[in-house]
Amino acid sequence: MTQEGSRDDLAFPDFLDDYFAECDEHFTGVRRLLLALEGSVGRADIDRPVLDELFRHFHSLKGISGMVELRQAEDLAHRLEDYLRVLRQGETILTSEGMDALFAGALMLEQVVAVRRTGGAFPAVGPMAARIEQLVHAPAAAKEARPAPGDSQVVRPARARWRCTFVPSPALVARGIRVDTVRTRLSEAGEILDAVPRVTADGSIAFDFVLAAVLDEATAAAWRADGIEVEAIAEDEPAPIAAPAIDTGEPEAAAPGTGGPSHFVRVDLARLDDLMRNIGDLVISRARLTDTLTRVESHIPAADLRAIQENAIAIDRQLRTLREGIMRVRLVPVGEIFRRMPFVVRDLARETRKRVRMELQGQSTEIDKFLIERMMDPVLHLVRNAVSHGIETVEERVAAGKRPEGTIVLSAATAGDIVRIDIADDGRGIDPEAIVARARAVGLPVPSGAADSATLLSLLCAPGFSTRDESDRASGRGVGMSVVQSAVDELSGTLRLETEKGTGTRFVIELPVTLAITDALIARVGAETFAVPQGAVREVIEVPVATLLQVERNEMMPYRGAALPVVRLSRLFGLPETTRDRLHLFVVGSGGGAVGIAVDRIIGQREIVVRAIADALVRVDGISGATDLGDGHVVLILDPAVLARQMRERPDRIIAGARGAHA
Amino acid sequence: MSLASTAQGVDSYILFSVAGTTYALPSREVRHMEMIEGITRVPNAPSFIDGVVFSRGQVVPVVNLRARFGFERAPFDLRSRLLVVQSGARQIGLVADTAREFVNISPDAIQPPNDALTGMSGRYVEGIASMGDRLVLILGLDRILNFAEAQTIGLVD
Repeated sequence: MTQEGSRDDLAFPDFLDDYFAECDEHFTGVRRLLLALEGSVGRADIDRPVLDELFRHFHSLKGISGMVELRQAEDLAHRLEDYLRVLRQGETILTSEGMDALFAGALMLEQVVAVRRTGGAFPAVGPMAARIEQLVHAPAAAKEARPAPGDSQVVRPARARWRCTFVPSPALVARGIRVDTVRTRLSEAGEILDAVPRVTADGSIAFDFVLAAVLDEATAAAWRADGIEVEAIAEDEPAPIAAPAIDTGEPEAAAPGTGGPSHFVRVDLARLDDLMRNIGDLVISRARLTDTLTRVESHIPAADLRAIQENAIAIDRQLRTLREGIMRVRLVPVGEIFRRMPFVVRDLARETRKRVRMELQGQSTEIDKFLIERMMDPVLHLVRNAVSHGIETVEERVAAGKRPEGTIVLSAATAGDIVRIDIADDGRGIDPEAIVARARAVGLPVPSGAADSATLLSLLCAPGFSTRDESDRASGRGVGMSVVQSAVDELSGTLRLETEKGTGTRFVIELPVTLAITDALIARVGAETFAVPQGAVREVIEVPVATLLQVERNEMMPYRGAALPVVRLSRLFGLPETTRDRLHLFVVGSGGGAVGIAVDRIIGQREIVVRAIADALVRVDGISGATDLGDGHVVLILDPAVLARQMRERPDRIIAGARGAHA
Repeated sequence: MSLASTAQGVDSYILFSVAGTTYALPSREVRHMEMIEGITRVPNAPSFIDGVVFSRGQVVPVVNLRARFGFERAPFDLRSRLLVVQSGARQIGLVADTAREFVNISPDAIQPPNDALTGMSGRYVEGIASMGDRLVLILGLDRILNFAEAQTIGLVD
């Protein structure tokens, strides 16, 4: 998909899913209310609350159907709404034919939506519309007045973005101004980037369009006169995108031919969290059972023991399936982040007079809802960087023998429990010498020798590092790469850099697909037990204490032809030093950023349930959460990425931190 | 504030003692009491924090009231208690030497804290109740927790 992709490519499929889900809710309401309304047949004192609510449902259905250009549904909903309006106004009483028509009309409306969803032939809407029309007895005032297209006399150099809000009203409809005519009018004036219906506080429906257009004051004034509010969108405001109405993952639209209404259920994320917690408890109980079983197995006859063990294994498998099932429900397509990026790129490229094409790959890759929310800003930042720092100007590119148009590829893929997000450009690449020079200039410690990409990355991510003037808009936002790094760290992820001068730059973010349950190594330091998420550990090595070399205030050891800084958890945490002559080391990070974290010994590997440490009183750097290994006691989960980063950035503080710990 | 909000005129309190002094907390702020066992130390946490425990699935920080009030820590024994208190969305465990009684205290029996009341715990006292020949210091939970938080921030930076 490219930047030039139409709105349909970018937002429409998701929008349709939302539409079906929303229709379902309305239909559920309609069915209930129609049954309730039956009691009012033939009576002058019609049940107003029921009528009003029903009216609102049809009104919304009309609006959202218009938005997805499902004309048959829009028309039917419109007629039904008209009929309800005359009933509301007391112009006529509800007859049994009227009631039948409402039922039949609502049923056909559902059919139309179902056909749009699953394919097939639409029912003939005309006769039904006419039947309801007859009941109305009042002329439906929907004349098709074609508004003049917004032809502009004043030419602006660039198309700006405008937020156009339209609230349909009977008065406007009487003038022939409806959402579909508004849509036509807007699309004639420019490009509709986004269109979202919403229900306003008073229950009526409003439509928010984001329009990229060259708009003169006269056109804007004419639109305002016709009930379309026009407002310029601030340059740095991100393009608003239809907020998905569904919080949780929606795998795929139901296969064609399944028929019937939408199969989506809206679930509050908090409820899923509860379920996840319950499963977490189950996993812990299961671990307890194993422990007990191990203790008593010598007292159990072999045949019985085998039966119990088989059952235990079956429970294990079933638990895992259950857990994976719940996790899948929490997954949402990464496209939620990706689809707003082309807008960002388009605006930024125009501003910097660059030509940039955006390619999106793997949009359907699913990651946890929790991660989606937290990855938005880092990805946005890296994409902005790619435009403003990565891609060259057209002249530079041509001079370098490249295509005038630069390419940014944003892709996502899963491999096992890891999701990988790549942000790659074919721009000028990162110049290691420039980065090192800059780092020296701002007083960052720079290792001697040629800087590898891990070193470059850690320099780029150091707080206070910025290679461009702050006036450069893209880099002026936020505080640069350090924000990206810490966002990735917080999610137990890793950030990698691959770059070649003149050829391009690629940032790779790798994250666990989901967070709640993870595999961990269990380590002991003195009498304390800690869990270390396995995903963060590159390697575990056992070393004799004697091989650790004291270098000023730090310890180092030879590792793969380089010196690996080592931090002893006992010193970091103020725990007694080991009396053993060997230590276990977790190697975390890579290249110049690698650090060894020393513990007394590693006692095993477990699946752990991650519990948050929420209270500020006990939130400390380097500890990411807590878990329970089955005995009800808290075991702290280390955050190796943070420990390693602290070590790299401020080794002194680590040693000072140990002093602050109470005995 | 919690004293003023008394509806029936009489509030129920839980009495506990720390270093020989009797304190009280409104019982609606105390979720439950437990024997103390298996506190996990949290490295580099403030000095008055004993660590964390699980309490009904949540990770709850444990504040040692002796340390908080400036006394020496004492070893836990069978009478030591963990009071799990609720303040807004937060749950905190408070370590007391003993905790035993529920009492009803009428607001008439409570006086504002005396200026002469010195010592660390004085800062957290919302009122003083006299019960017969006993004096009970009524703690303000918000004061303990807010002050504790300020201290934490001070320690970390």
